[in-house]
Formats: sequence, C-alpha cells, structure tokens
Amino acid sequence: MIEVVASMSRGPVFLAGELLECLITFTNPMSHLSTSASSEMLAWASAQIHCQFHASESRVALPAQGTKQDVQAGSDTVLIPSRGERGQCMLDTPPKILFCDLRLDPGESKTYSYNEIVPTDGPPSFRGQAVKYVYKLTIGCQRVNSPIKLLRVPFRVLVLHGMPEPPFPQHEEVAPSNPFLEEEEGGRRDARPLERALDMLMISTSRRCAHLFNITNMRGKVAKFCIFKTVYRLGEDIIGTFTFSEGDIPCLQYSVSLQSEEEVQQQYQRRPGQSASITGHGRHLESCLHTASCHFSLPVPLNVTPGFSTDIVSLRWRLHFEFVTAREPVEPPTVLQNQSEVTVWTGADHVDVDTFSWDLPIKVLPTNPALASYVSQFSGTNSINI
Amino acid sequence: MYFLTGWPRRLLCPLRSEENPFHIQPSSQRFYFAVLSETQLSIWFSRPSVLIVSYVESAKAAAQFGFYQQAEWKPDDSMIAVAAANGYVLLFDVVGGGDDKCLYEPVYPKGSPRVKVNPGYKEEQCAPALSLEMKRPVDLEAPITSLQSMQEDLVVSTADGFLHILQWNGVSNGRKAINLCTVPFSLDLQSSRGGPSLDLDGVHIRDMEYCVTLDGFAVVFDDGRLGFITPMASRFTADQLQGVWAADVTDGTCVAVNNKYRLMAFGCASGSVSVYMIDTTTGSMQLSHRLELTPKHYPDTWNKTGPVKSIQWSPDYSVVMVTWECGGLSLWSVFGAHLICTLGEDFAYRSDGTKKEPIKISSMSWGAEGYHLWVITSSDGARGEGPPPLQQAGILQFQFIKSALTVNPCTSNQEQVLLIGEDRLYLTCGDPTQAHSAPEQHASRDGAPLYPPSPAPSTVSQGLSTLLGHRHWHVVQIHSTYLESNWPIRYAAIDTQGQCMAVAGRRGFAHYSSFTRKWKLFGNITQEQNMTVTGGLAWWNDYIIIACYNFIDQQEELRLYLRSSNLDNAFANVTKLHSDTLLLNVFRNMVILFRADCSICLYNIERRQDSPTSSAVSIELLQEVTMARYIPHPALVVSVTLTSVRTETGITLKAPQQACAAESIMLNLAGQLIMLQRDRSGPQVREKEAPPNQKKLLPFCPPVVLAQCVENVWTTCRSNRKKRHLLEALWLACGEAGMKVWLPLFPRDHRKPHSFLSRRIMLPFHINIYPLAVLFEDALVLGATNETVLYDGLQGPREPLEAHFPFCTVERTSQIYLHHILRQLLVRNLGEQALLLAQSCAGLPYFPHVLELMVHVVLEEEATSREPIPDPLLPTVAKFITEFPLFLQTIVHCARKTEYALWNYLFAAVGNPKDLFEECLMAQDLDTAASYLIILQNMEVPAVSRQHATLLFNTALEQGKWDLCRHMIRFLKAIGSGESETPPLTPTTQEPSSTGGFEFFRHRSISLSQSADSLIPGKFSLQKTLSMPTGPSAKSSDRWSRDSDCAENMYIDMMLWRHARRLLEEVRLKDLGCFSAQLGFELIGWLCKERTRAARVDDFVTALKRLHQDFLWPFPVIPRLLNADQFPLQERPLPAQPRGVMAPSVFSVLGTRLLKSQSADSLLNSDMDTAPPHGAPNSHSWLDGLGAEQKEMDMASTDEPQTEEAFLSPLINKVDECSIGSATDLTETSSMSELEHISMELANKGPHKSQVQLRYLLHIFMEAGCLEWCVVIGLILRDTNIIKQVVSFLDCPEVPAETVQNVRNGLLAVDAWASSDCLGYKPFLSLLRPQLQKLAETVAEQVLPESFQPSSASKLTEASSPRAEESRGPASLGASLPAEASGGGPGGPHTNAGNGKDPV
Repeated sequence: MIEVVASMSRGPVFLAGELLECLITFTNPMSHLSTSASSEMLAWASAQIHCQFHASESRVALPAQGTKQDVQAGSDTVLIPSRGERGQCMLDTPPKILFCDLRLDPGESKTYSYNEIVPTDGPPSFRGQAVKYVYKLTIGCQRVNSPIKLLRVPFRVLVLHGMPEPPFPQHEEVAPSNPFLEEEEGGRRDARPLERALDMLMISTSRRCAHLFNITNMRGKVAKFCIFKTVYRLGEDIIGTFTFSEGDIPCLQYSVSLQSEEEVQQQYQRRPGQSASITGHGRHLESCLHTASCHFSLPVPLNVTPGFSTDIVSLRWRLHFEFVTAREPVEPPTVLQNQSEVTVWTGADHVDVDTFSWDLPIKVLPTNPALASYVSQFSGTNSINI
Repeated sequence: MYFLTGWPRRLLCPLRSEENPFHIQPSSQRFYFAVLSETQLSIWFSRPSVLIVSYVESAKAAAQFGFYQQAEWKPDDSMIAVAAANGYVLLFDVVGGGDDKCLYEPVYPKGSPRVKVNPGYKEEQCAPALSLEMKRPVDLEAPITSLQSMQEDLVVSTADGFLHILQWNGVSNGRKAINLCTVPFSLDLQSSRGGPSLDLDGVHIRDMEYCVTLDGFAVVFDDGRLGFITPMASRFTADQLQGVWAADVTDGTCVAVNNKYRLMAFGCASGSVSVYMIDTTTGSMQLSHRLELTPKHYPDTWNKTGPVKSIQWSPDYSVVMVTWECGGLSLWSVFGAHLICTLGEDFAYRSDGTKKEPIKISSMSWGAEGYHLWVITSSDGARGEGPPPLQQAGILQFQFIKSALTVNPCTSNQEQVLLIGEDRLYLTCGDPTQAHSAPEQHASRDGAPLYPPSPAPSTVSQGLSTLLGHRHWHVVQIHSTYLESNWPIRYAAIDTQGQCMAVAGRRGFAHYSSFTRKWKLFGNITQEQNMTVTGGLAWWNDYIIIACYNFIDQQEELRLYLRSSNLDNAFANVTKLHSDTLLLNVFRNMVILFRADCSICLYNIERRQDSPTSSAVSIELLQEVTMARYIPHPALVVSVTLTSVRTETGITLKAPQQACAAESIMLNLAGQLIMLQRDRSGPQVREKEAPPNQKKLLPFCPPVVLAQCVENVWTTCRSNRKKRHLLEALWLACGEAGMKVWLPLFPRDHRKPHSFLSRRIMLPFHINIYPLAVLFEDALVLGATNETVLYDGLQGPREPLEAHFPFCTVERTSQIYLHHILRQLLVRNLGEQALLLAQSCAGLPYFPHVLELMVHVVLEEEATSREPIPDPLLPTVAKFITEFPLFLQTIVHCARKTEYALWNYLFAAVGNPKDLFEECLMAQDLDTAASYLIILQNMEVPAVSRQHATLLFNTALEQGKWDLCRHMIRFLKAIGSGESETPPLTPTTQEPSSTGGFEFFRHRSISLSQSADSLIPGKFSLQKTLSMPTGPSAKSSDRWSRDSDCAENMYIDMMLWRHARRLLEEVRLKDLGCFSAQLGFELIGWLCKERTRAARVDDFVTALKRLHQDFLWPFPVIPRLLNADQFPLQERPLPAQPRGVMAPSVFSVLGTRLLKSQSADSLLNSDMDTAPPHGAPNSHSWLDGLGAEQKEMDMASTDEPQTEEAFLSPLINKVDECSIGSATDLTETSSMSELEHISMELANKGPHKSQVQLRYLLHIFMEAGCLEWCVVIGLILRDTNIIKQVVSFLDCPEVPAETVQNVRNGLLAVDAWASSDCLGYKPFLSLLRPQLQKLAETVAEQVLPESFQPSSASKLTEASSPRAEESRGPASLGASLPAEASGGGPGGPHTNAGNGKDPV
C-alpha cells in the first residue's frame, strides 16, 4: 500500500498566471508486517490542472454540439482527470509526468514537486446557481496492470483582468557578454508577475473618489448618501455615510446588502429573458428615525468570486439599498416654552410608510491569494492510499 | 478592552426648541436615557435610538421649581427624580413601560410585500410607548448639589451641608436629614473614635456616588476634598455615619465608583484622575493609581486640559471614560492602561495640519453593554445675542467594539483575539491551528516572495510569521433575526481552533461555524425566549456549555449543546444548579462554576461511549469549594480559572503529565489575584489505584495572594516538553504596570532535583500594547490598537461629521516580550534559567531579533544615563549572548542601529571591534565582518580600518564573494579618498615603467592599454577600448577607469593584480575568468603587462590537466574498433585546407562578431556566410600582424561572397539536425575515417559552457599576446589552427626567444606526456607535426639544436591499441561513448544530448 500525499505549499488560492507549486509525496509506510520484500512498485504518475465546467439544466441551454466540447476527449494521454465528474472539462494544462517506474522500500518516501503556471485564459473559480467552474489538480498514478488511481486536490483561482502576461521564458534581453557572468541570473523571474499584479490591484483599489448621491423618492428628498470608492478588493470593508438631516421625508429604516448578480448570456438562456439570479453576501440593517447622520461598514467576504464574465455567464456586484420612509414630509413640531400648563409630547403610534429600493453597482476585485487562502474551505492538501 | 470604531452617529431630537439639553442619565439597565434641558425632560430609547416622550414644564411650575439640573432613575425604571434649581426634587412616574404598545409602528400600503418578508422586523422598528407624569415635588429648601439612588431610597445632598434620605414614593414623614458636621471624619476607621473630626461647617457635597460593594458613598466636597461615608451599622439610614477622607487632596471635581473592582475614581482640577481603594484592614482611603496624560504622548495638551468634567465607568466596569472642561475624550483600562485619547493625532489635527476644536462635552453615558457612548455636546459660544435660535438638539453616539475577555474570560477566549461589536464579531484570521505537537522545523517553503510571507498552516512558528505580518480581521456578522430580538449581545466565545463561535444576547444564544459559514439558531423561538445565559458560555471540544436561567422552571441550569446537531433543548444535556452562576470556565475535561453564594463547583465532563447517540455526555459534580470567607461580595469576582500551575514546579511531581491535572484555582477578586492550590501536603493518595471515575480530589489549601491590580490572567492546559518555562508560566495583565509573568524555575540538570527546590518568580515587564491573547509556544502577546483615517476636505461648506471626526479602525498588533524576561532573569542573576529559557526558544524565527533587543534596550538605558551605574548590566547581557551562535551578528546589528555616541560604551562591554572582526574572519562569516568594517571605520584611524578592509577584501576575493568584493572596492575608495601616502602594504613588484611616476596610472584603463602600446610603437586608437571585452560594466557602476585617479585606485589595483597573478600562477583560469567578469577587471591590459612574467606557462602538462579538471573537459580517447591500418591519419594529413582556411577567417569573424554584438553565443553559431565581417583593425603592432593578417583575410572575405561551408561548429543548445556540418560538406570528402574522426572529435568535447569560456579566454590571451596560454587552450580545444596560428606568430621578431623556446618545450612535454599517459592526444599532436618541425627549426637556429625524435610518430601506430581506455586522465563524463556506435550517421546517439548536460 502506498500513501500519496499532495499538498500545495502556498495554500489553496492562486491568481491566474501565478506559479502553482504542489509537493507530492509517495510513501511506503513502514508497518509491522512489512518485510524487506514488500517494496512497492508504481508504473507512472503524472499531474495535470483542469477546470470542470457544470451548467444547471434549468437555467442554461447548452447548444447540442457544444462549442465547449470536452477538451479532454481529444487528449492523447491516458490520464483523464475529469473522469467520473459531472459537467465537462473546459480547460486543462498539458499533463506533466512526475516519474516512471518508482520503487519504494518499506519506510521510504519520495517527494516530487509539480510546478505549473495557472492558465490565464480560464474563468475564475465560481459556484453560482446557473454555472459552476471548479479547478482541480489531479494526480494520476498507476500500478502495473491495475486501474489508474486519481488524487484530486481542489484549489481556487482568482482572475485579475489586465494581469500582465506572464513573461514567456524568452531569452534574456541580451546574452551576457561575458560567459562567466551568466550563473547568477537564477530563477528570480517567477515572482515578478504576481507582485506586479498585486501592486496594480492595490493602486486601483486604494484611490479614494467620493461619490455623492441625493436619495429622493417621488415625495421628496430623503437623505444624502456618500460612498468613498466603488472598487473594492475581497476582504475590504465598504464604507458609506447617510445624512438624513438634509432630507425632508423622515426615513424610518434602511438596509444595505452586498449582492452578486449572476446572469446567463443571452444565447445560452434556457428561457428567453430569464432574470439574473441574485445572492446576498452580507446585510446591514439600521433604524434611522431621529438620526441626523450615520454610516455603515459592510465587509466583502473573502470567499466570494470577484466580478467576471465568460461567454456563458457574467457576474456583477452591486449594493442593494432598501429604505422605509414616511409617506409625507413631517415638519418638526416646535416646543413652546413657558406655556400655561404642562405639555407632554409623545412619539406617533403609527407611521404610514412605503418602501423603495435602489441599486448601486460596484466592482469587486480579487485580493492577495495568500490572504484568501486562510479562510478558504479547501485545505490545499489531500491524500489517498493506493 | 474597548476600541472606538467608525464615526459617531448623530441623533437629532425631532422637537424644535430654544433650550439645549445639557444632561443625560441612563436607566439602571441602560435601555432608557433621560435627557434634561432647562424646562424639558425627554426620554430616549436605546435601540432604535428614538425620542419616546418629552415633558415640558409649565411656565408657573418652572418659575416655582426653577430650572432642571440633574436627574436619577429609580432602579426599577418606574420613576425619575429630577433636581430643580430652587431646591425641589420633582418625582416623575414613568407610565406605560409594561404592555408592548409600541411607537412609530410602520403601516405599509396594502399589498406591499414588505411585511411578510421577515417577521423579526416588527419589534425592532418601534420603541415602547411611555408617558411622564409629575407626581409631587419635594422641597428641601436648599439648592440641590447631587442626588443618588441607593437601594430603595434616594439620597440628596443640599448646599446647606445636609444629606437627605427620601423614599421614592415621596412620603414626607420617612424623610431624614443628616448634617454633615455630625459625621465623624478621620484618616482611617480605627482611630476614628477620638480622632480630630474634619470641620465640615459651611462645606457641602458637590458630587457623590453610592458603591454597592463598598456599601458607602464616595463624596467630593465643594472645597475639593475627597471622602468616603459608610454607615457604622448595617442599615444606611441609621444615624451613625462615619467617614474617612483622603489626605492632601484638595482639588476634587467629580467622582465615579467602580462596583466590580471597589475603586473610586476622583477627577481633579489638575486634569488627572486619582483612583482610590479602601484598605480593608484600616478602612482608610488608599491611592491605587492615577490616570494622567503623559507629556511624551501629548506634548502640547497634557497640562492644558483643564479640570476633569465627567468620569464614566463602562457597564462591565472594565474601562473608564474621562472628559475635561477643554473637551475631548480619553479611555483607560480599569488599572490605568491608556487606550484612546481624542486630544491628539487625527482627532485634533486636520489633514492639512490645522488644529481642530475638540468637542466640548456637557454630559455622557454608556449605552447597554458598552457598545455606545451617548454624548451631549455643549456648543457654548454659539450664544449670540437676541432670542436663542429654534433648533433641534443633537446627541452623539460613539460606537465601540470590545474584547470578549471583558465579560466572558474563559480559557478558549484567551488564546485567540475575539472582539465583539454591536452586530458583528472580529477574529484574527490566518491563525495557525495551534499545532500542539512540538513543530519540528521542516524546511520552510519560501515560495514566491509574496507579502505577507507565505503561510504554511501546519507549523506554528511558520504560521507565526503570518501573525506578525498580518493585520486582517475576519469579520462575521451576527445573524440579524437573532440580533434584532436579543440585542444587546452580552457573551461571546470562540473554540480553541478558532473555527466556531457562540454568542448570547438577552435571551437564548446562537452559534456560527466557519466551515459551513452559517449561523445556527433555536428552531423553536419559545425555547430561545425561555432561557437567558447568566454565567457565560464556553466551548468544550464541539460542545457549547452555557450556565443559564430557565424562566419556565425558574431554575438555574448548566446545559451542553452539541454543535453539529441542530439547536434544540431535546438534544441538550441539562444539569440543575441550585444557585445562580456568575462565572463559567472550562479546563480540559472539567467545568468550573463560580456561584452567587461565593462557592466554586468543579464538574467533570465525559462523552458517554455507551449511549447510541454520540451527543450523550455525562456531567458529575466533583468538588465544591466554599469561598464565602474570602469573598466579601460575589460581584467582585472578575474571573475564575483552573490551572495546572503550582508554586513548586513539576519537579516534585513524578511525571509532567501529572503537572497538567487541575492543580490550582486562580480567582481574580477585584484585581487581587488569589490562588488556591491543591493540598498535596497530606499522604499522597496513590493515583493509580484510585479508579479513574471517582478519583478523590484533594482539598484546596487556603488562598494565597499572588498579585495586585490584575485585569486578565492567561494560562494554558497544554504541555510541551521543550518549552516548559513558557507553557507552565502564568501571565498577568496589570494595566499601566504592564504585564507580569509568574515563571517556573527549573534546576539546570534534572539529575539532582532536591538540591534546588524549584520555585517560581514573578517578573514584571513593560508592554506598549494592550494584551488580549498570549501565544505560549511563540513567546508572543497579541493585542489590538485603534488607528484613524482622515476623510476630511471632501465636500460641503459645513463640515459634516465625517470630516470633523476621523474614521476609526482597529488594527491587530503583537509584541515580543522574551527579551524583557531574559533581562529580568539576568538582573536577578538567574543566568542559568535565562539560558534554559532562551535555548528553548532558539528556534523561533525572531529569536535573533530578541537578542538584539536585549542589547539595545540595556545599552540605551545605561549609556545615556547621567549618573554612573554601580552594577552595569551590559557586560552580563553580552556574556549571555556569547552563548549563542548569533553573537557576532547581534552585536553588529545592534551597533548599527544605535547612534555612534553609544558605540564606545557598547564595545567596552562587548569587546574590541577589531578582535570581533577577526573572529568573523575566522568563522568565515564575511558579511558580518563587512559590517564590522563600517564600525571600525568610524572608531579607528583610517589606516587601521584600511588594513582590516584589505584583509577582508583578500579573503572575499579568495572565496569568490563578488558582491562583497564590489562593496569592498567602494569602501576602500571611500575611506582612502582623503589619503595621500602610498599604501604600506603592497610590495612594489612594479619595476619603474618607462613613462615613470604617477602619471603612468593617471588615466587608468587608457593608460593600461597605453602601457601595452608603449612597448609597441602603434598609435593609440579609440576602438581599442571598444574591442576590449567590457566586463559587467553595465552592472558595476564603480568602473574606476573613469573617475580621477588617486593613490586609492592604485592601492586597489595592486591587490587585484596580486590576486589575479596568484590565480594565473595556480592555473585557476576559471576563477580568473569569474574574477575579471564580476569585478570588471581589465584582463587584457593586465595580461599584456604580465606577458613575460606571470602569464608564462612553465609546465604545459600540469596546465593542460588543470584546465581539463577546471572545465570538466574529457580527455580524448582513441575509438577502439578502429583497427590500426584503417587509421590513415598520419599518412594522409587531413585536407587541412578547407578547415585551415576557414579557421583564421572564422576566428577573425568570431573575433569581430564578438566585438560587435557582444554576445558569447555568437562566438558559437558562426554562420559566417551571413554576417559580413567588418575589419576591426586592432592596434597591437605584432598583434597588428595578427590583426593585419586578419585584415587581409577580412578584406578578402568582404569583397566576394564567402562560400564557406558550415563550420564544424560546436554544439548549439537547440537540437538542430544539421548542426554537425551540413551533409554536403561530409559527402565531398566523406570517407569512413573522416566520419570516425569527426564523431570522435565530437565525443571528446567538453560541456558547452566550458567551450564558450575557453573560447573567450583564448580570445583574451590572443589579444594580450600570451602565446603560451593560447597553445594550452588550443591543445585542450584540440583546434589545430589555433596552434598553427600561434606558431606562425612565433616567428615574428618581437616575440622574445624564450617564449618560442618555452612553447616548443611545452609542446614536446605534452607530446611526451600524451604518448605515456593520454594517447587520445596523439592523433591531434600528429596533426601538428609540420608546426612542430617549423618550431624546432626556428629554435635550432637560435639555440643549440635539439634533436626531435622522429620516432614519436612510430609510437602513434600502436597507439590505437586498446590501452587507450585506461588513460590516466579522469574518465571524462561524456567521453565514454561506445565506440561501436560511432559508425552511425551524424545524427547518431552522440548528438548534443550526450554532452553539455550531465546525464541525469
């Protein structure tokens, strides 16, 4: 029995275009009944990244011949990572062979490092109502004349649009003039794209451009709303302030929720004009009667998928506001001092209200994958015994 | 602890009025707030924060009673007493709070979907309807200074020095007035009988507050004196009152009493707050600590705050808010740790630096559970003349988040940082699961240098780096349905893994799991509403343990709910308790409860395996400990924990696991930490015999006081063999006094435990963050601080609230404390213990930093202290650090971080920097040695530092540390710039050059080439410098050739030359190449100079062998199968012509190609036909000869298209089928032997990179005219035309005779060696037969002719015998190609895959 353990050293979340590194250890555990003869043989092992695409029949009508035919069908190797999985494999990297005919003595273990650039042209990992994109690293290994065993390590891919192309390993600008110089260039190259991407991300999401809105309904002005930016990274807080004292319609209560809008593209919709499916990811409810100004801070969860669009589905983000306001403007009553007798003012028992809502589109961008991997439900490691 | 978050919320009174409110008084449960203005009493509700009712006084009554001044609620919220200016106490009935008639109920238009959406919506929106009725005024005939509710009565102090005690029902006959003068006041209670009574006539109480746990009133008199009045008998109303007063305080302004810690905080006119406690023995008032702004943090405002205006303790009595007359807020922990102050940084200054007016606060009050602070600002100065403007009053509501430890100090909350906000939880994500097994340091994957450093969740210390580098909170919003009906949240708890959380509000509780990211609530709402959590909640494995009160059975219960099953009492395990629980905690499998009757119960929990449902758990009462004798009032107990801590550490116990049994109870009684330890003095019950389940637990010894002013206690139930110091220690947070650790001391060698009775030692250490969690294994304290972000200058003329106040966020911080502890141990000369502790933590990633901090802190203190220090600590610290390998780095890092003035003191203690430098050199730690140089440069005379620099430079050169060498060159240039005299060291091997004197070196590189020219009459041509292979000039900006010469450059050159000379003499050409490439050393110029000296080759054979070794070049091997006759080599010399012709031109093309595109690769892919070689005339005269020859060659080649075939170019990295000579070339002259020959040639080539390097060196030696080396390289490359070319140069007149002689002898020696040792060379040498002959003749003419044994050729014939295999040369890597395979075509196995890359 051989124990195969695959673990992604840097956690289960990657940016597209980043170098994924996974350590795969094959161990022949030393057990009391293992004799020196019981060394184990493995014919071959190879690893491959693939993205599984699954569409729900009720929402997505895939064309019969399917332009997205299973990429795997045509592949020439025997390793079919998406065997036994629903949906079709829409994208995969060329399989890399880890080793051929490995012999392990009892207690011996061997570790291989699988490195691969996460494909940049694929969709982000997404689990929506209509469509699911799931990325997996599949390690297939086979003993001599026995079925192939697959070890799947799910991981999550964030796609940052406009991510600088990973530099193809084109030769250095000019070959070093002196042959004695070339040793120390070394492998510093792989880190640069990620850092550039993260810097660009920081810049685009840290600029503060305040947007001011006058919240009015058909009866008049309710409040002034100010939001300090509309581009957010995963894990950031969305901060907005309301100034109700400038409105003349009293507002009893407001709620703001972060919603994602998943809309199937026109040509793939099951029913023409079917509505986009809305999912809420965080809600803030606050009563604001007798309130002059207040603010809310809504956290963007780390495990949601940033906005993207593929040819089948597009995901947009928005803030959905709901206001409960009185029907008529109320002029604040004046308290007259030194009246003849005591006056006692009490609040109104009932207030005729109506509600209206307002949507504000915002952009949600990925964040530093190391940060996202803390709260990811994937552990980035998996193991089987073959 | 409390942290300000976001912006304050501004409430707006819906009524327009001329009066501004100036006082706010919360009800006892803080759900209602009474707001007073001159003639108006309003009641606000807490959530939703709306105005419920407002009572406006009639003019007649206002005239009679006077303006309102203060208000006080009756404890059951049914009445409000208002003090009016003319001495009247007006009692109001608060009517209608009971039935759930609500206000502001929204009425939706018909058909609106809204109502059905969420049922919870209805209650939260509206507030209870109340009304106010004035019952009756009570006239006290004197202005009222303060009124306080006390138990069932109302105590009112009036300006005439009387203290009135009224009943709430206002019945007049029960009224009693006590004259203050009759109350005996003294310094302490014992001597009060006869003691001098304070003369209190004409003095009245300005402010007072009743303290339940002290059963007395803390008072401030109008003359500023502070006092404390207690009833002698039990009932307060009895006439015998007695008082104590605080000596030497005369500027008291206000008072606030802390019931939980029995503290009285008196605000003073000086702006500081003095906190007093009552000394239980003498009954006197004793100063505990002061809350003062420090000049360090608030330089410009610390003494300009004006008197203290108001002090408010938070509802859980863990923090106090203070405001001054000048405005501003400041927050302190109960024992004086400073948390927030709005008089500095972003609160006080706009982003453009202008100062903001601090808000002036007339009154403030905490909301329920401390999540809000209601503040009424006084806008004085706005009082223009004319009628006061009609405006709506504003109230500010500051929002806070607080640590879960303040209310629910259970152990699992102590190892993670959990903060609760009004509607959300903050926890530190990225925390590694506490890997309890000692984490072996497996190779940490450093992966892509991401920031924050890449986490490997498995190991603690690896995860630790994420903690240090990480500031991100994981925010979990509390389920809105549960929150709306059970606001405010009181208790919160997190499990030890940091994955699951539970919160408890007014009723019921809910829990969240980060795996499913879902909240779990009670399915049946009535179950939730029928119980309220009283004692707190905690996690035990995946069970939630709560101590609650069951409303239906009116019964206190202890319940366990399994996380995975849904939340229903049916699945709960309920145990009845017969007294209210105040505190609950868990220690391994034991639950400890502190009950209202001041007794402690221990329960044991076990998961019952026998029952089918896994959720069955058995709980049994193990032990009850009554503490009534030691605890005056149950509310005083802040926290209770079971620990495995004992006074004597593990030594007396047999095995360490035993040390982890519940050994002692730690009880925090109002800041005093008392310990009850198991009484092990009795006969030791053999643990083993006692059946496990009914182990008889030992009784507890009487309590022992460990420390004072304790706010929080940390201990862990885990054990770790390697880090016993840290894990068996007890950590205390003591407010402004920082932290304390009760550290166990272990004897160094365990063999003889008795000789040293291990004890524990209490070590205080300073900490500048507020500790929230302690990571035991990592010796790290986690905390949080308030940060502010300014959003001002954004919009609107009238500064909106957001612009005035900064946006407050909470950031995570952490602090290392190990260096403090080590220092404390050293001060108490417990060096051994310090060593043990340090060694146990040596694996921590920041351990070097700890050592540095130790030196740094001690150095800063001792070096800058004015008066001499009797027993300096620095020497002992230095000696301590020498125990660790990082000693040298630590000292130098510390030195470079402190300013220069302290260096003398440091090095006096640590040792002379010179011998530290030598130590680094001996230890081959060159980088540290380099940093010592910088110190030497500042502390020593330049000559000394230069001497050491030279030492380091040479070792660096020797070890090939090129970066360091470059630094050294810059360093030497820097320190030498001021120097004039010649460097003492360099032996001037330089014989006086013809141009003499210094100008020889003036224009450095140019002169170098000139010096070569000076020997050769040719004029200097600019291209010359171009032609020289530029070293990494692009990289090393310090090409000294350009800047002005000085003795320094020459000094450096000397050393470089000496090093180069040594490399050359030891035939280390590869090192020479690297050396010259890295440091941009002019190789050619130097070689020209050394041509006749160092650059001569004395022993060709050893040189050749050394080259083979250095460049991994295989010794040539004769292919075995070639039978002798088939080997026609010597009869028919190769048709040299095509190759011969090509070689020089090829060479010249290569040379020129090299110059033009500066690319070594071009040296290889010499597809000559494409690139027209342009003549690069080089100016060396006899070299010109070479050059000239080339020129004709080039001239010849430029005018008519070259039809040269593809040169047998060595391998190109891309597998290119036709790279080995185009087929056409072979067919023309193809014969089997030719094929053999070529394939054999190929087989014996060295790795591609070595080829490039050798070609490059060849070019250099050619340029420099070192012909002997050219021969050697030609030999190793087995390139006949190189040898031919060199031999043709030898007959130039300028070449000195002995060079020719030397070359000849060399070749002969190689030939002799080849025939004896390495037959593979024989075929090649035979090719050179003509050259050797020519050479022999020239030498014969000049020198005694030496016979050239013709017989050598004969040796060739039998050379082809099989003996070739055991040629002594190292079995070259690629050469062992099976000869029989060589018969294959060009594309045979031995394409470049064979060599160039080591077979893996």
